[in-house]
Amino acid sequence: MDTLNGQSKICVNNVTKCFSSKQGEVTALKDLSLDIMDGEFLVVVGASGCGKTTLINMIAGFDSPSSGEILLDGKPVTGITPECGMIFQQYALFPWKTVQENVEFGLKMKRIPKSERKTIAAKFIDLVALNGFEKSYPHHLSGGMKQRVSIARALANDPEVMLLDEPFAALDAMTRQVLQEQLVRIYEKHKKTIIFITHSIDEALLLSSRIAVMTARPGSIAQEIVNDLPHPRNADVQLSDNYMALKRKIWDSVQAEVLKSMEVETG
Amino acid sequence: MDKENHSSKPIIISIISLTLFLVIWEIVCRAGLIDPVFMPAPSKIFARAVKLIGNGELMAHTLASTRRVMVGFMISSMVAIPFGIFLGSSRLFMSICDPFISLLRPLPSMSWIPLSLLWLGITETQKYSIVFMGSFAPSLLYIIEATKSIDPLLIRAARNLGASKLDVMREVILPGALPQIISGLKVMLGIAWTCIISAELVAAREGLGFMIMNGKEYFQTDTVMLGMVMISITVMVIDVVFKKFERRLLPWTR
Ligand SMILES: Nc1ncnc2c1ncn2[C@@H]1O[C@H](COP(=O)(O)OP(=O)(O)OP(=O)(O)O)[C@@H](O)[C@H]1O
Ligand SMILES: [Mg+2]
Repeated sequence: MDTLNGQSKICVNNVTKCFSSKQGEVTALKDLSLDIMDGEFLVVVGASGCGKTTLINMIAGFDSPSSGEILLDGKPVTGITPECGMIFQQYALFPWKTVQENVEFGLKMKRIPKSERKTIAAKFIDLVALNGFEKSYPHHLSGGMKQRVSIARALANDPEVMLLDEPFAALDAMTRQVLQEQLVRIYEKHKKTIIFITHSIDEALLLSSRIAVMTARPGSIAQEIVNDLPHPRNADVQLSDNYMALKRKIWDSVQAEVLKSMEVETG
Repeated sequence: MDKENHSSKPIIISIISLTLFLVIWEIVCRAGLIDPVFMPAPSKIFARAVKLIGNGELMAHTLASTRRVMVGFMISSMVAIPFGIFLGSSRLFMSICDPFISLLRPLPSMSWIPLSLLWLGITETQKYSIVFMGSFAPSLLYIIEATKSIDPLLIRAARNLGASKLDVMREVILPGALPQIISGLKVMLGIAWTCIISAELVAAREGLGFMIMNGKEYFQTDTVMLGMVMISITVMVIDVVFKKFERRLLPWTR
């Protein structure tokens, strides 16, 4: 795991998370440990309901572990952490704000003057190729455009870590591919630490520098796989033996967990 | 809005039905079928309107009532909006205030009239207080409901972007709840009119409610009905103005 400078950005130490609901107690995560290096692009894959969202929500500080701890730069996460910019599957754009106002939101919260906000927002709107839509309201945009606004909004706030929870799951295949390529370019240019959740093994292979496979619920890490496929991960790479071998390896691991989770559900 | 403009037929039909109604009413009255004290002809109401417009009385009464509604309603909304947002986002304050709101809410504005007269006399402040008491508690409940309808994901997103709890109230909860707050306030404006007319019917020296009550004292049924028509027209005009204002405030819903 010594991909970059070998320094842990985020440490998840023996985290357990229980939810109590009307149906009783649910253990979503059990003794999950995971280290994320500075500058790493970690993709987390796992069966539905294994606790991926729970994990990422705790890293963002929306929720706290039942036991264990999460460290960001060595300090425990105790509340909502703007250093971890979150990108939601449902975009979570403010419908009453224009594209530009949405992108400026984090800067406004930092009380940065208007003119400066505008310059920074313009830069990130440009980065996600949404020039000309600055004055549009979100409901006039397509899903892919909304997610680009959401990415620009997170980036404008200059977080050290970006957390993406199945950000492209609701998009069509073509749009998804465009956004994946954009995200890789942003990652290479801006040197963020990224945690990305997905159901798609192909997406994991295209984007990641490392892949963590989660077990069925209660979730923990089943396997960690370094992805050293060369960039750009074009059609040639995707047809290479190396790609196929990695895919098989992840597939086997995920499938075993999916089967396990189905056994649990059917009794 | 487009659809309404495309065909003017329904409007024409409405105008015809209204005209027909007035014509029949006029004929029935002129034929002497109804005692004019019981029900004056539309033309007599119209004549009364011309007279009262001429001497400025009608305008004065209408403006008096409108001013009272507006002042009372503005004060009530200006208190209820921030207070409601605050209550809607804090469980502690909600539990503190809940018993008082629950006790205030079922009280009809009419029931405040005796107390307000004892406290404030037949004054303008008394009129404003009736509008305030009649519309505050229901407005508050509307606003609390509206704040609860906000998608919690948006609050999370805002917090994740560095917003403080106060920022969230101002930047997320207020604008997010605004469409619902405004439609609630529209209903409340109707209630505010009910409040002021009843207050004026009981004790006042001017205003449409006073005009109606005074007309009744002199058996001027035409004045009574003119007052009622004037209330309808004023509320309708204010509704139109309110809608314009609403579109201004909610550009993103267009
Ligand atoms: N707030 C909550 N209250 C009760 N149970 C919860 C809560 N949040 C999550 N859970 C439960 O925890 C488990 C893990 O949920 P989570 O949303 O983290 O899964 P996931 O891996 O993100 O699934 P998906 O791939 O479908 O998004 C699920 O069984 C879910 O029912
Ligand atoms: Mg999830």
